[in-house]
Amino acid sequence: MSDGPLIVQSDKTLLLEVDHPLAKECRSAIAPFAELERSPEHVHTYRVTPLALWNARAAGHDAEQVVDALVRYSRYPVPHALLVDVADTMDRFGRLTLANNPVHGLVLTSTDRAVLEEVVRSKKVAPMLGARIDEDTVVVHAAERGRLKQALLKIGWPAEDLAGYVDGTAHPIHLDESGWNLRDYQQEAVDGFWAGGSGVVVLPCGAGKTLVGAAAMAEAKATTLILVTNTVAGRQWKRELIARTSLTEEEIGEYSGERKEIRPVTIATYQVITTRRKGEYIHLDLFDAQDWGLIVYDEVHLLPAPIFRLTADLQSRRRLGLTATLVREDGREDDVFSLIGPKRYDAPWRDIEAQGYIAPAECIEVRVSLDDEERMTYAVAEPEERYRIAATAQSKLPVIRRVLERHPDEPSLVIGAYLDQLEELGAALDAPVIQGSTTNREREKLFDAFRAGEIRTLVVSKVANFSIDLPEAAVAVQVSGTFGSRQEEAQRLGRLLRPKADGRQAHFYSVVSRDTLDSEYAAHRQRFLAEQGYAYTIVDAADLAGRGEVNGPDWVDEPAD
Amino acid sequence: MPAAPPPTLAAWLRTRDDDQLAALLAARPDVARPAPSDVVALAGRLAVPVSVDRALDELDAGTLQVLDVVLLAPTDGVSPDEVVAALPDVPGAVLTAALTALTDRALLWGDEVLRAPDPVRRAVRHPAGLGRRAVDLRVQLPADLPAVLDGLDDDERQVLERLASDRPVGHLPDSAGGADSPARRLLQRGLLARIDALNVELPREVGLLLRGDRPYGPPRLRPEPAVTTRDPQTVDRQAAGAAMESVGRIGELLALLEEEPAGLLRSGGVAVRDQKRLARELHVPEPEAAWLLELALAAGLLDVGGPHRDEWLPTRGYDIWREQDLADRWAVLAAGWLAGIRLPALVGQRDVAGKAANALSPDLVRHTAPTIRRSALAALAEHPPGAGLGADDLVALLRWRTPRRADRLAPVPGMLAEAARLGVLVGGVLSSGGRGLLAGGEDGAAAGMRGLLPAPVDHVLAQPDLSLIAPGPLVAELADTLSVVADVESSGGATVFRVSESSVRRALDAGWSASDLHDFFARASRTPVPQALDYLVDDIARQHGRLRVGAIESYVRSDDHGLLSQVLGDRRTAPAELRRLAPGVLVSGLGADEVLTVLRAAGYAPAGENPGGAVLTRPPGRPRAAGRRTGSEGPSAPRPLTPDELAATVREIRAGDAAVAARRGEAVRQVPGVTTASTLELLSRAVREGTPVWLGYVDAQGSGSQRVVQPVSLVGGFLQGFDERRGESRTFAVHRITSVALVEDDGAPAPA
Repeated sequence: MSDGPLIVQSDKTLLLEVDHPLAKECRSAIAPFAELERSPEHVHTYRVTPLALWNARAAGHDAEQVVDALVRYSRYPVPHALLVDVADTMDRFGRLTLANNPVHGLVLTSTDRAVLEEVVRSKKVAPMLGARIDEDTVVVHAAERGRLKQALLKIGWPAEDLAGYVDGTAHPIHLDESGWNLRDYQQEAVDGFWAGGSGVVVLPCGAGKTLVGAAAMAEAKATTLILVTNTVAGRQWKRELIARTSLTEEEIGEYSGERKEIRPVTIATYQVITTRRKGEYIHLDLFDAQDWGLIVYDEVHLLPAPIFRLTADLQSRRRLGLTATLVREDGREDDVFSLIGPKRYDAPWRDIEAQGYIAPAECIEVRVSLDDEERMTYAVAEPEERYRIAATAQSKLPVIRRVLERHPDEPSLVIGAYLDQLEELGAALDAPVIQGSTTNREREKLFDAFRAGEIRTLVVSKVANFSIDLPEAAVAVQVSGTFGSRQEEAQRLGRLLRPKADGRQAHFYSVVSRDTLDSEYAAHRQRFLAEQGYAYTIVDAADLAGRGEVNGPDWVDEPAD
Repeated sequence: MPAAPPPTLAAWLRTRDDDQLAALLAARPDVARPAPSDVVALAGRLAVPVSVDRALDELDAGTLQVLDVVLLAPTDGVSPDEVVAALPDVPGAVLTAALTALTDRALLWGDEVLRAPDPVRRAVRHPAGLGRRAVDLRVQLPADLPAVLDGLDDDERQVLERLASDRPVGHLPDSAGGADSPARRLLQRGLLARIDALNVELPREVGLLLRGDRPYGPPRLRPEPAVTTRDPQTVDRQAAGAAMESVGRIGELLALLEEEPAGLLRSGGVAVRDQKRLARELHVPEPEAAWLLELALAAGLLDVGGPHRDEWLPTRGYDIWREQDLADRWAVLAAGWLAGIRLPALVGQRDVAGKAANALSPDLVRHTAPTIRRSALAALAEHPPGAGLGADDLVALLRWRTPRRADRLAPVPGMLAEAARLGVLVGGVLSSGGRGLLAGGEDGAAAGMRGLLPAPVDHVLAQPDLSLIAPGPLVAELADTLSVVADVESSGGATVFRVSESSVRRALDAGWSASDLHDFFARASRTPVPQALDYLVDDIARQHGRLRVGAIESYVRSDDHGLLSQVLGDRRTAPAELRRLAPGVLVSGLGADEVLTVLRAAGYAPAGENPGGAVLTRPPGRPRAAGRRTGSEGPSAPRPLTPDELAATVREIRAGDAAVAARRGEAVRQVPGVTTASTLELLSRAVREGTPVWLGYVDAQGSGSQRVVQPVSLVGGFLQGFDERRGESRTFAVHRITSVALVEDDGAPAPA
């Protein structure tokens, strides 16, 4: 019996014991074909999915390597049936290929006639195919490339896409590495993406995804369309690109509700693209406005459904997706994979933290007992009202105040989802509130003041969930959220993870009403954070120690060593 | 006597020496029980068609081809040299062995000239795949057969050649016009014979002509399939993986059935709905769930039980099984599977009526299954460790070995797949466990697998996301505890448990306290218990028990509170163990009938109430099916005869023969169980005249004997008499008497 670090489970999850001497080696052996699912402290869970196996095939790994890795590192005998299944699954990839035919354009060819027959007869696939050229080849309508790939994936015969990419209009872009360098993992991510052609890079918030995007642009040296979640995030991209690349202000256009500029590099918001008038998407021509050589999707996990459809038409262009987490609450991860491309790079958050590129964070859940009146209100509330009542309970206010008092000198964010509550908190804590109706100018002003240290506490709604760079924020208190959304949790935590100038730790508090839906949802989020490897502590509000008290945050002013 | 060749089978049998006779009885044990009275009886039994078929069924294709040569010979009787000459492509050693096998079994007899007994001729319908002779088929062949054959067009010739190759009988095509298919043209020309409305047969003469210089077809040599070789260690590791998987899955399946038994269908078996549920909960595809159910049944871990005998439950054997170590648990499964008389692969297959067979249903029983399984595995076991055969090659080999039973081989690929799932077989190669299973049954299997399976672990790793990971198979005790305090999230080599609000609540419900849980986690976990876990336990424990539920057996209620106080205060009602739960309600831990008795005895007039609203305690103990004893359903093949038994039987035949030869009286021979008039006549004459009779007798155990008996009376189907050889007086049932002869004084065998 060998003593490997890996345990292979019947459901094709792989458990990797992190403290094992071979763990690192094993991780790099299984990473190509297994998705990292959870990375808590001791044992990480990977999952071998058909998609992951096919991605591995697409990246040039064969079944033998996969089986060998499983057998070599496994602590216990691996069931033969599982290995056979892995080999069979991988064998399905590449029977079909999409390629450019000099005469007929895009064609689907097969090395296995039976498979092609099956596919041609499939009701879902048939409409996307054109004339049959010969027994092994069938014409594909060029516009259906994305949808065809999606449909083939669903019926279990993924096509290898060899049709390549258009180069787009060339435009000189290069990185301006003065005073900084691309970090190793960022370089690896860019390399992984470029080698694969299209795909998604998963990096934690604060790990410098924008730079990965910039580096990819420098690699493509072509006109680029960047899709972002909102205008503020778009401006941040612009600032970053001007600072870190050879691009100048004039070369970067903003395509948003306010401005409609089309320049060699154009940053557009999801919102403006999905704006409809009389049922028609009115800004679609943006995609044709330039011969884009690269399309970057920021926060790809938020990609709205209409953009999925649009993306299907853009299969001949290189696509880069950036995200902190591929968890989609709507379960459409597969669509991201099939339309944008497979995951090209992924690293456990804690690894990057260990390298010092993101700030270490402590997660604390504070449980507040509701008073009797609130409990009664909660008990008799309509089910759809319950969460709001629990999340916005008045009893949270003194606790939030105490939490902030624990860190008097730290820039802090109070994050919530309900506007009434935010207004109230803003008034009670004497802090400015940023929410959806706050103008962009006002937002920028407040963020600047916060960055400069003029404002210590900001109360923000979910507009601040994404892509707002607030490097100095070191404390976040979430008081209410979008139910148990794990993805929101990742984003909020992400606000704190930009490394601090002095390497301080960040603190992420959730204030939760005990024995209500609020705490149930919190349990969801807790699990997510723990799965990401974060230490998670739960305290009762009454036990929340102040500064300098036992268990209190005494390391704020005087570092332990 | 001069060395004239024996004229009959019986005479030839008499010339065989004891060893040869013993070999005959060993090869055809069905003729040896009960022991034949003499050689003539033996020859008679050898001629029984069932016995002949059975003997032929066990012959391989090569041996049968040799038999075909004798059967096809124009004359009755062929010399061994002629046989050799007829099959030039077959090596001499093979021929000699085949002839020995045939003569040993008395399927051919004679030394200089080999003859086939008539029953053998009848049993082989199409020797060498050739049809009957034209005369027998009543067709008039064309005079110049070769010329006619040469003149056939291509499709006609194709039809003939197909019929000439292996099976001389074919279906007439279902053509509408009819008249013009090649087969019909051939019929008209007299080259085919119609044997019934649908089928035609190719006359032997035509077949022989088409075959040319190979009248017996190509030599049927033992196929030499390509041997698959794998590293034995790898095979064992992979087998161990499959073994762990099977044991783990069966454990999970039975744990699920323990919680919620599956219903028994009226037709037997388990409902598709239940099968789906189990598949869903086990996260396996449905066919896999069916296989696991079948495996659990075969291993005696699952059976019908419950109060109404209408549910599938784990058996008591399961309780023992789960305490065993992994290798033993696997051995129970493997041995159960090997001996199982069911074909799990048939689940879901539709019968002729289009009804799909359910898992566990009686439709899956095939009594031949254990024999086929064993013969398939035995063929693999002939290869050295690390070598084996692919499924197709194995089937081809088995088909050669028992061509007359080829139709039985259909389940073999399914069986091989099952063996692979179990870890008996890996890619056509037997694992050590599999070899052990074949050679040494359950113990052998366990011995073969032991050492390959991991030792159980006694700890878990607690993680901050509230999962507990058992990095290996758990010791039974810890597994039991964990199944209470946590839910299984994924299983396999390791088990991932998750502690959730509901699982902690379940533990508290089961009587654990918060501190018990803290202690347990601290003790069981090798990693520090995460704060969130401790907090969760405390938080749930804090809420736990704010509502109280107790178990009582009965209550006494009344709107008259004064009366209740009186009852409670009454000394005579003390045995009822009443206490006040609330105003107007007294409760007792005793049953309602007992409380009623006590109250009535004390002079009250209580009335019983329908217990609809009463809180019931959990039923004591978990439900269990009685279950069969494992292994009681062994293969039903007869026990082979031991050498001693063989020798004794041969001796008895010889003795009987000698007796027949010695006596002059007429013998009445009869089929056992049938009493003929002549038997009775002979017996009553013996009683009347007081002459001893010679009896062939089969006792209640089925063993035959010859006795010389001095009859006393013949009443009610029983013969009373004095057994002279054994020196005792006893009763013989007339219907067990196989033969009778009067012993005439001087020639009678001397009494012992």
